[in-house]
Amino acid sequence: MMSDQNNGISRRSVLKGAAVGGLGIAAGGSLLAGCGSKDVGPMKWGGRGLEESSVQWHEAVKTAYETATGNTVTLNMNDANAFQNNLSQYLQGTPDDGFDWMAGYRMQFYADQGLLEDVSSVWDEIGDQFAESYKIASTGSDGKQYFLPTSWYPWGLHYRKSTMTELGLDPENIATWDDFMKMLEATKKKGLIGYALGDKGGWEAMGTFDILNARINGYQFHVDLLAGKEKWTDAKVAEVFKYFEMMIPYMNKNVLDISWEGMRDLLLQKKCGAMMMGSWFSGDFKTLSQADYDDLWIVPFPEINPEHGRDTIDAPIDGLCVAANGENTEGGKELVKWLASKDGMQARLDSGNTFTSANNGQDTSSYDPFQKQQLAVMGEAKYITQFLDRDTRQDFANPVVAPAIQNFLRAPKDINKILESVQAQWDALPAL
Amino acid sequence: MTSTATNTPVRRRRAFSRKDRLTLTAFVGIPTAFHVLLVWVPAIGTIGLSFTFWSGIHISDIKWAGFENYNNIFTGTPVFWDAIQNNVIWLLWFGLIATPLGILLAYQIDRQIRGHRFYESAFFVPVVLSLAVTGIIWNFMLQPGGFVQGIMGRDISNPISIYGNYDINTYVILGIASWRHIGYIMLLYLSGLKSVDPSLKEAAAIDGATEWQTFRKVILPTMKPVNIIIIVITVIDSLRAFDIVYMIYGSSTGWPILGILVFQNISGGGMSMKGAAYAVILFALCIGPMITYLKQSFAEDVK
Amino acid sequence: MTTLASQTKYKNTQKTKDRIISIFIGFFALAWLFPIAWTIWSSLRPYNDVIANGVFSVPKTLNFDNYYNAIRLMKLPMYLTNSMLITVPAVLLTLGFGSLIAFVVSRYSFKFNVALLLFFTAGNLLPQQLVFIPLFKMYLWIGDLFGNRALLYDSILGVVLIHVAFQLGFATFVLSSYLKTIPKEISESAMVDGASVWVHYTQIILPLLRPPLASLAVLMSTWIYNDFFWALVLMKSDSKRPITSALARLQGEFVTDFNLLAAGAIVAALPTLIVFIVLRKQFVSGLTLGSTKG
Repeated sequence: MMSDQNNGISRRSVLKGAAVGGLGIAAGGSLLAGCGSKDVGPMKWGGRGLEESSVQWHEAVKTAYETATGNTVTLNMNDANAFQNNLSQYLQGTPDDGFDWMAGYRMQFYADQGLLEDVSSVWDEIGDQFAESYKIASTGSDGKQYFLPTSWYPWGLHYRKSTMTELGLDPENIATWDDFMKMLEATKKKGLIGYALGDKGGWEAMGTFDILNARINGYQFHVDLLAGKEKWTDAKVAEVFKYFEMMIPYMNKNVLDISWEGMRDLLLQKKCGAMMMGSWFSGDFKTLSQADYDDLWIVPFPEINPEHGRDTIDAPIDGLCVAANGENTEGGKELVKWLASKDGMQARLDSGNTFTSANNGQDTSSYDPFQKQQLAVMGEAKYITQFLDRDTRQDFANPVVAPAIQNFLRAPKDINKILESVQAQWDALPAL
Repeated sequence: MTSTATNTPVRRRRAFSRKDRLTLTAFVGIPTAFHVLLVWVPAIGTIGLSFTFWSGIHISDIKWAGFENYNNIFTGTPVFWDAIQNNVIWLLWFGLIATPLGILLAYQIDRQIRGHRFYESAFFVPVVLSLAVTGIIWNFMLQPGGFVQGIMGRDISNPISIYGNYDINTYVILGIASWRHIGYIMLLYLSGLKSVDPSLKEAAAIDGATEWQTFRKVILPTMKPVNIIIIVITVIDSLRAFDIVYMIYGSSTGWPILGILVFQNISGGGMSMKGAAYAVILFALCIGPMITYLKQSFAEDVK
Repeated sequence: MTTLASQTKYKNTQKTKDRIISIFIGFFALAWLFPIAWTIWSSLRPYNDVIANGVFSVPKTLNFDNYYNAIRLMKLPMYLTNSMLITVPAVLLTLGFGSLIAFVVSRYSFKFNVALLLFFTAGNLLPQQLVFIPLFKMYLWIGDLFGNRALLYDSILGVVLIHVAFQLGFATFVLSSYLKTIPKEISESAMVDGASVWVHYTQIILPLLRPPLASLAVLMSTWIYNDFFWALVLMKSDSKRPITSALARLQGEFVTDFNLLAAGAIVAALPTLIVFIVLRKQFVSGLTLGSTKG
């Protein structure tokens, strides 16, 4: 009943890319081929994410763009959740010309509906600034590009170096699952939460599920499961939840009460050991203090199955799209071209934002240790996934999988029933 | 001058001037057109859409689905039944606890016990606050590191699980909802009580009836119209409940309820006409109370 | 006389009972207000103080810094202005339209009177989400008709209109109930005197409607001001949003500094609180007219 033609492309393609770019400066990157800034009238930029750090860098970059090109930009910042929930209306109605968005299924769906502008021409101009796998991830099902990548971040185990030193632990040298369990045990003995998790929003725990599935069953199985080619009732999936259940005693007691901010706060306030999360929140540590930011570190999730090692990682790519219904699509293309280029990325770095650029022309020498560590973590992986809710059907990820994981966290013994239900709901989805 | 024996309509005595007819048409026509266009047409549209498959974007993509969405909801979506269960619990709570408390409060305040003016305002304040403010206030009270957790001696590293704890979160949510609902019911009932003839109560007192007897045998029957309105509001608000749950859980189904299911399925990239079907189910459940309300309000007008 | 004695005894036990009841309810009333009081209290304390010393600590300072910062950082004046721009026209239009229908339906006997009232009242009870998807499409389509896609979508006008359409039912119902209590003779003598419908409405009926109009104005402003859903789904530009949707956004932005957030919430709630305190009587009578027949 389910056509999965839309799901195949981005994942397998990202697989094709070897070490996904970002490490080192690409040889012979011809810079912006003498692109004099065109005057294309005022443009609007839809920004996503209302944390102080986010608003700050958006404004800094906007100013930099206006100074560099003389064009005027109206910045329209939005709460990330509201933006995501209303994107369909946003794109049909009166969208901004360029806007922040994510790669993966979420981008392809809107491209297929004709709501995104084809930006292949921009890729023609600056495509050499990105590794091949990025281009593949930015391509829609019709072979054209609809997305410009700007940043990405890994999902990994974050922790405070100071806490780990106090506990006498060394997360960087954890090799196996047993080591990991020992670390959690040691943390708990000292009265801290071993593994912080907040799943009120329903999606946070997908990070844990994704990585466990990839570690235990491998990249291909994970991809196939999300595409409907494997069954949730397979014993392999049950295995994943067995490992998940092993971690529950070391989690905070109120997992379903707090969302990702709560997780972050636990780490901010030194109440926990490790936390599986994407690195986007690092700016919040910096907002607190430089010392706190310096204390933050990340390592990949440990290996479980030697057959797969640590070859996969969730590393969602964020970037820019141009709305087909925007008033100034030409202007939008110019805008995103600059924003995604080396200059735009540099402006963002200069504003103090602690992201990692997708642009391979980026001068990473100015990266601080944490950013370099992020790159190292991503660089170690052979396969990149985009995170469950960007890698599968939207009417499946949040309505079905999210509550299923929440139910599991509430009652781990019911997992078989839960998985049967997930499979049944997948089977009942209408054809796309 | 008018014969009181028959309800002679005015129009029989003279025709309206052309100008008058125009005015009347405009007076009725414009607001009605408005209301129909913005409320009824989309409502019917949604009902129709619930029988289709559609992503909500291009009209040309609409495909007929028959009862498939409903079938999916009733047989293939377990969380739907959890939501119905929660709606029923909500209804029982409101109907058996919150509303009666509101009525009792209204009655006591109407008797003008000491401090009644202050009480009247105090209980009603939550009703004038917006959802967003209510959400912030209660998140504040209940969050890790907040008041309630603090009183129980827990800080953010070992808080009590409230929203995620299935044993108590229902009561917490209903408590917050009651915080608003009780005041609302109280005021509705109070305003109704004010129009009850005080001599009735005095007569009952002289006859030696206790307060409780007076309430049951004298007040309650006189308040029949208000009683019905209160019941209808209680039922409909229990079915329509959305705001409080949304403010706590966002659009996730941490505590499923029909209103959230509608929202979850019509927002975001996962929009499907299943959301329309949920909305229609919600509407269908409200029809009974709506008709009761209408019958009660227009009893005298409908012959 | 035993009756007198027993009556007095009854009165005395009743008095004691009443005192107990009053104290009991008083206790609850204070508990009722406590969450709001706590929020106000928290808004007066600087965040750093609370974090350093704990939630129950005796404050080192109490100041209005959070309010000052909230108004500045949260762009509250802009959002409050938007709220006013939506609420005031919506209330005026709703009351205007409602009075027109109520007037025709209660002063003139047409066959469709009851049906019309039923129609409007039922419309008021429909859930908002039932209407949203086609409404969105309709707004875009109408906008395109006039050459401006943003005519109704992402515009204050669009939000005002949907509020009017939804609240019309309640207003009509209340006003027509009220009009039923006005003797028909007034209208009839006017008509005998040859007054046109327009004069009948503006010079006779409208002035008489002042009390319920005032009450409705108070009620409706509160409801419309507090609405969350429509601005959330029909608006995309942050600069046009009213305070309620903005607060949701601010919760995401300032999630760590809850003392600041508390101040913002109090500021947002102030208009309705002030209206309530000052115009409490209108509130009560507004609800009366809606719930009982006069």
